[in-house]
Amino acid sequence: MSPYMLIILIFTLGLGTLITLSSSHWLIAWMGLELNTFAILPLMAQQHSPRAMEATIKYFIIQTTAATMLLFASVSNAWLSGQWEIQQMSHPTPLALITIALALKLGLAPMHAWFPEVLQGLNFSTGLILSTWQKLAPFSLLLQIPPTSSFLLITLGFISVLMGGWGGLNQTQLRKILGYSSIAHLGWMILIMQYAPPLTLLALTVYIVLTSSMFLTFLYNQATNINSLAISWTKTPMLTALTPLVLLSLGGLPPLTGFLPKWAILQELTKQGLTPVAALTALSALLSLYFYLRLSYATALTTPPNNLPATLPWRIIFKQPTTFLAVLITMSLSLLPLSPSVMAFFTF
Amino acid sequence: MKYLLFLLLFLLILGVVGVASNPSPGFAALSLVMVAGSGCSLLAGQGGYFLALILFLIYLGGMLVVFAYSVAFTGSDYVEGWGTRRISLAAAGYLLLVWGGGVILSTNLNEEFWTVGASFGEFMSLEYSLVGVAHLYMGGGWLLVAGAWALLLVLLTVLELVRGASRGAVRVV
Repeated sequence: MSPYMLIILIFTLGLGTLITLSSSHWLIAWMGLELNTFAILPLMAQQHSPRAMEATIKYFIIQTTAATMLLFASVSNAWLSGQWEIQQMSHPTPLALITIALALKLGLAPMHAWFPEVLQGLNFSTGLILSTWQKLAPFSLLLQIPPTSSFLLITLGFISVLMGGWGGLNQTQLRKILGYSSIAHLGWMILIMQYAPPLTLLALTVYIVLTSSMFLTFLYNQATNINSLAISWTKTPMLTALTPLVLLSLGGLPPLTGFLPKWAILQELTKQGLTPVAALTALSALLSLYFYLRLSYATALTTPPNNLPATLPWRIIFKQPTTFLAVLITMSLSLLPLSPSVMAFFTF
Repeated sequence: MKYLLFLLLFLLILGVVGVASNPSPGFAALSLVMVAGSGCSLLAGQGGYFLALILFLIYLGGMLVVFAYSVAFTGSDYVEGWGTRRISLAAAGYLLLVWGGGVILSTNLNEEFWTVGASFGEFMSLEYSLVGVAHLYMGGGWLLVAGAWALLLVLLTVLELVRGASRGAVRVV
């Protein structure tokens, strides 16, 4: 792609999120979301293959539907209450509709079916932008709207954790696995949103760090399915040693960073008297843990049969810079002892 | 005046039925022109002249024209319209639906007035849309720039997506 086009698109991605994050008027928020949708379309279609085009079209249709629902709900709210403030929505019907529209935008269950398929059609860097940057704007809107039906949010959250874990069990393609992991993590974030919004932000940030590590690891190894992952130990032994730990952090095991949001969320849910929800969600997270374990097993705990020349790529010096990946992996493995300051960072 | 209003409303409903019942996009676009024309005349008669003007210019003169050009590529030999029995029966069914809906909804009429303009600030008794656009250009500031950037971005996105010769997604070109 021409560098001028690339710079315009990346600039607009940043501009759109910034506009939505800083808006108090529903039309401006909608404008930011539309900017994000349109700016990422050519980036997704960069690979010019029918699979990439299919993913682009699916993404476009889903995001436009969600944005139209959002516009309809905000116009209805303006009609019913006379004003356009995001934080002053008073009528329950537009509130519920906006929650569902934003859930469709994010890829929460039961509106999650598009997300793994769209991720599968993209290369790893575009998929990374889709999984991390594109989540910021809808979350900022969800955090600002007044409390809506608690049943809706808990249902969205719990079903996302369940479907994220369950759907990822039968996958061998790594991008689809990362898609289902995204759905599960988003479920955790939505679950706690109405009780402790800072924990949603904490979960979102930790998730972004963790999933960026995984996307960049797979990008470095050029591994798109479990079989390719299994023979990637020959390229970087160091990264191969760390990848299972990052995967277990994604699964939420102590003493790694991924444990922090789950711990805080379960504690807050129990304090709010929702112990059955907390227990069921924790049990559903076991499903995700199983396929993270399967990936760890394939990465570092087994050595698939190989011939001698194929075990020597590590002798070649890779030119690809890994500084950012190193920082991300360090953060995803060792932030748990800093929990008090991390949580204080998000409390506002 | 009553006769003009009746004619416009009749054309409106007929056009909507035409859009819904025609499988050929060309005939549907023609019906859409009829709908837009009569609807805009009704709107203008009620004081919403700016909205009607913008609709004619942008919707009919921009979007519908592009749609018609795209549709012209998909020309087929056997175009079905209101002449065939199937489609004329469907159109009659839709007309019946509209009539039934009108009968049901007309039993609960309270007199409601709707306004298209007001006087405030330096704008005296002008249409809301007109004043809104004026405000956007007057005090819009960076928001106006962001809106223009959004329009430019959509153009660039479409150009990038349909660029041919192996640099875009339309590989046949």
